[in-house]
Amino acid sequence: MNNRTFAPRTVLQERTDPVVDAVAPKGAGRTTVGNRVPWDYIVLVAIIVFGATLPFVATVSTMAIAMRVLVFAIMGIGWNIMSGFGGMFSFGHAAYFGIGAYSTALLLVRFEISPWIGMLAGMAIAALAGMGLSYLALRYKLQGAYYAMATFAFAEVLRLFAFGNGPLHRQTGFTIPVRVEESFWMFQFKANSPWYYWIGLIMVAAAMLVSIVFVRSKTGRYTMAVRDDDVAAAALGLNALRYRLTAVAVSAAVTAMAGTLYVQYYMFIDPSLAFGPSVSNDAIITAVVGGTGTIWGPLVGAVVMGPLSDLTTAFLRNPPQWLAPLAGHDGVDIILYAIVLIAVVILLPKGIYGTIRGKVTKR
Amino acid sequence: MTTTKPAPPSAPPSAVVHRATRSFSALAPQRTRHTLLTTAAVLAAAIIWAGVSAGSGTVLIQALVTGILTGGIYSLIAMGLTLIYGVLHIINFANGAMVGLAMYLTLTFVDGTGGMHPYIALIVVVPAMLALGAVLQAILLNPVMRAPLQVQLLITIGIALAVENILLLVYGPNPRSVALPGNRAVKIFGAAVELSRIYALVGAMILVAVLWLVLQKTRTGTAVRAVSANPEGARLVGINIKRIYVLTFAIGTAAAGAAGVLIAPFSTIEPTAGSIFNLTAFVVVVLGGMGNVPGALVGGFVVGLTEQLGALIMPGQSSLLAVFIVFLVVLFARPTGVFGRAS
Amino acid sequence: MRRHFTLAAAAGLAVALALTGCSGSAVSQSGGGASSSAAGGEIVIGALHPATGAYAADGQQMNNGAQMAVNAVNAAGGIKSLGGAKLKLATADTKGEPETGSSEATRLIQSGAVALIGTYQSAVSTNVAAVAERNKVPFVMDVSNADDILTKGYTYSFRLQPNASTMGSLGFDALQNIAGDAHKPVKQVAFLYENGAFGSSTLASFKSKAKAAGVKLDPVIGYDAASVSDMTTQIQQVSASGADVLAVAGYYRDGVLVAQAVNTVKPKLNAVFGVANGAFDQPQFVKDAPNGGDGYFNANYAIDRSNPDALALAKDYQAKYGETMRTSAAESYDAVKLVADAIDRAQSKDPAKVRDAIASTSYKPMAANKGPVHFNDKGENTNAGLIATQILDAKIQQVYPAAGAETKPVYPAPISK
Repeated sequence: MNNRTFAPRTVLQERTDPVVDAVAPKGAGRTTVGNRVPWDYIVLVAIIVFGATLPFVATVSTMAIAMRVLVFAIMGIGWNIMSGFGGMFSFGHAAYFGIGAYSTALLLVRFEISPWIGMLAGMAIAALAGMGLSYLALRYKLQGAYYAMATFAFAEVLRLFAFGNGPLHRQTGFTIPVRVEESFWMFQFKANSPWYYWIGLIMVAAAMLVSIVFVRSKTGRYTMAVRDDDVAAAALGLNALRYRLTAVAVSAAVTAMAGTLYVQYYMFIDPSLAFGPSVSNDAIITAVVGGTGTIWGPLVGAVVMGPLSDLTTAFLRNPPQWLAPLAGHDGVDIILYAIVLIAVVILLPKGIYGTIRGKVTKR
Repeated sequence: MTTTKPAPPSAPPSAVVHRATRSFSALAPQRTRHTLLTTAAVLAAAIIWAGVSAGSGTVLIQALVTGILTGGIYSLIAMGLTLIYGVLHIINFANGAMVGLAMYLTLTFVDGTGGMHPYIALIVVVPAMLALGAVLQAILLNPVMRAPLQVQLLITIGIALAVENILLLVYGPNPRSVALPGNRAVKIFGAAVELSRIYALVGAMILVAVLWLVLQKTRTGTAVRAVSANPEGARLVGINIKRIYVLTFAIGTAAAGAAGVLIAPFSTIEPTAGSIFNLTAFVVVVLGGMGNVPGALVGGFVVGLTEQLGALIMPGQSSLLAVFIVFLVVLFARPTGVFGRAS
Repeated sequence: MRRHFTLAAAAGLAVALALTGCSGSAVSQSGGGASSSAAGGEIVIGALHPATGAYAADGQQMNNGAQMAVNAVNAAGGIKSLGGAKLKLATADTKGEPETGSSEATRLIQSGAVALIGTYQSAVSTNVAAVAERNKVPFVMDVSNADDILTKGYTYSFRLQPNASTMGSLGFDALQNIAGDAHKPVKQVAFLYENGAFGSSTLASFKSKAKAAGVKLDPVIGYDAASVSDMTTQIQQVSASGADVLAVAGYYRDGVLVAQAVNTVKPKLNAVFGVANGAFDQPQFVKDAPNGGDGYFNANYAIDRSNPDALALAKDYQAKYGETMRTSAAESYDAVKLVADAIDRAQSKDPAKVRDAIASTSYKPMAANKGPVHFNDKGENTNAGLIATQILDAKIQQVYPAAGAETKPVYPAPISK
């Protein structure tokens, strides 16, 4: 194959995240495995325990925002496994999110099957779909932006398919029926119940756990080696395809979980909400703002970006004196959101967590 | 590392120039003949199938003519996108918002000059967009050119959000329109066509020609191509890469501006009027080969025809479904686009 | 080194989480102001509309309409049974996103809203209806036409406007009556519809009516409202089919494209007939469409032009905001007035009691209705009606039903000149 065909690959690969090199550089020498104390796990437990107290201090409307943070977090963590650690830029993570949401809703609404089963089914289907698409893409040497466009088109095809498919309720989508009593098995509680949050938090913890285990595992380290230099990795006898597909499968399954949480909490899903391009953007924004290719980045990104649009809106609802002329004009809050987004990305191109960690470890 | 752009590390300057002259040339005859034959065969089959489904010759001809014309619009909008991707490797999510901005500038120009011909707005809008593009690249994007793909993507998403909502703030939410003096319908082989859409197609072709000439025949164009083909090499031969980035983004934004002016007369002008083309424009860019300017024209025709014929063949489905299926098939069959990548 | 950093990062994250919590409560405090003032006598009604995004034109008008209703109630002495308590409108921008609609609805309810109105988009209303149902706060939909929202057995959601299938069947009736009065009965209708939930369910009910009446429906062509950029081929299909009427169920931008294509192809049609079309009765359409959209019909929910109060309201709106009042704004006005009336009759700010009062309303709306608003057990307004308008002499004029008509319809319509 000639150079021209490979040009895009070179681009993405070399541009993929210098930050990770600090976390898990080529070879396995300085990875977290070297640490005797598994700080990542301890920190995770601490965050979850701390996070679990939120319903006791926060108001109901804060909890509504917190739910969005959890959904963002799971999507960002999922995206990061494949695109951050795996180096395959996904521009269509809505596909996996949507598969999770639709599997859950379809099984629940049509067959009265527990959302938990629906979630597992969704994770399995998402993993298979991701592997299928990526197998084809890698087999046909789709790399970099071309791979990104393939994932984008895949999500769009799913959206348009759901849109015209009778058993999937076409444009109407699915509404989760309101039950009379609360039920863990059917994943439904009364409105504003903290259980939604706690279950979501457990899902985030599970996603984080998967992420940490993946990075610490041999598979994870080989995946990053393949990302950093697939020629060298191949020379060492690593099966690049296998590691890449594993990363995709794990990533897709984690993201599908977010779909289940979304549909059970908001109780409604339709083709654009599930597979629309803005869903994919949310996953990317979360991970990139936090720090691509870092373990904690997506979580930080979700905590920052999840409430941001609400904060800008609330800020402009009662603005300080000097901004008063802007109050009452629709759209100013979104402009402010956009400015913050651009500023964060320019000032911290490695993400919030990525940049801070880069500074700290250099010292 | 001080490299601004990753590149094969050891290309000597002479190779840079050599490769640069090859880039942006649309057709590599050897590889393309096979593709062209296949494309022609598929197209012929689709036309026959669509004709049978439609059951009317006029409808079929109308679909083909409309396909070409909307294809022209799509490629017009995709032109800036593909140029920017080809040189800067930025997936420019703000392209549609820029087209929308240009529509409003056209509107302001026509209203402000007491009803001058909207195409005259090109004289004002294109330089304005050129300047805007230069400023955006210099201030917002140049600082992060070494960061991964998704960082620039996020910045362009932010720009798109900001531009659309500023338009909402300034012009309000009500839809507007610009009239084209002398616009009327003409018949082509029985198909009815509005003149304004034919002008847009002609405009797309002129834009391709202009961009092609600028890239092929000017010193600056050669520098742009050199940076696109091999940034490291270009830097070694003394090209100021950051300046070329600014210039390219400016030209790409100006192209979006020209597109906005040309489609304004038959568009409903709203803050989101440009971004509705975002999806289609991405498809056009990849089909034509990312960074391949003439390829975008062909990609536009492919998408326009697929949409029209697909709607006749599969009446119950969204016409976009056919587009994305064709897109995936082409992507896997020819990963670098129908006509190959530019560099 | 790494260890320290991880610890530092954990601390940082903890701080961030805490900050989110605080800022979150700051959000609620700003809302809390509303609820404390509610205790002091103000009654909050929450309005959820898309003030930004693709539907901002309607969303902003609807907020204006709701505000006018609040002003009117307050000017007339507030809620009398509650000692003249004043109403307060708390608006929220849904941005056209169902999740935002859901979290903003939660916020408004928490800040003490007695009832919610909204949301213009069916997908957003579906989410808000679920929130309202589970929080037991009444939700009156001003505009949102998907039938599905009210088939879930919800008891706290109500809809003022006709739903999509009602508009399809009433639209067919209007078409048949207008054509029949002109002694040119409809033989074959070409149906062009946006293939989203609205267009599809309108088509379904229009189709069954047509079938029962023995009218041929061919061709039936769907299109993608969000991405379509040219309708010429579709109109050429219509022209080739020999249909005598083109019915169109769609939104604004695509409606203009239809008019452009009709003007280009010039098919032989007796009428272009909008079925709850988002374009054919908008003043802006007269400016944007070729020939000013002359002769275009639309059967739609609308401001009742035979009602002097409604005309006065539209005039006030024009004077206050400098643009023509859209029907959607009148629906929001009605929604607020209806809620205010219910609060008055309930003599309470308790959402459950207000809900019961809404369910038994007999409010006389500004929008054209077959009678006072009457909700059935699903929450649908059984008296929701529609009128037909036609653009004649660059003016949108009510032509059907004959009772409230401003002028007689011109059928066949002068569209292909």
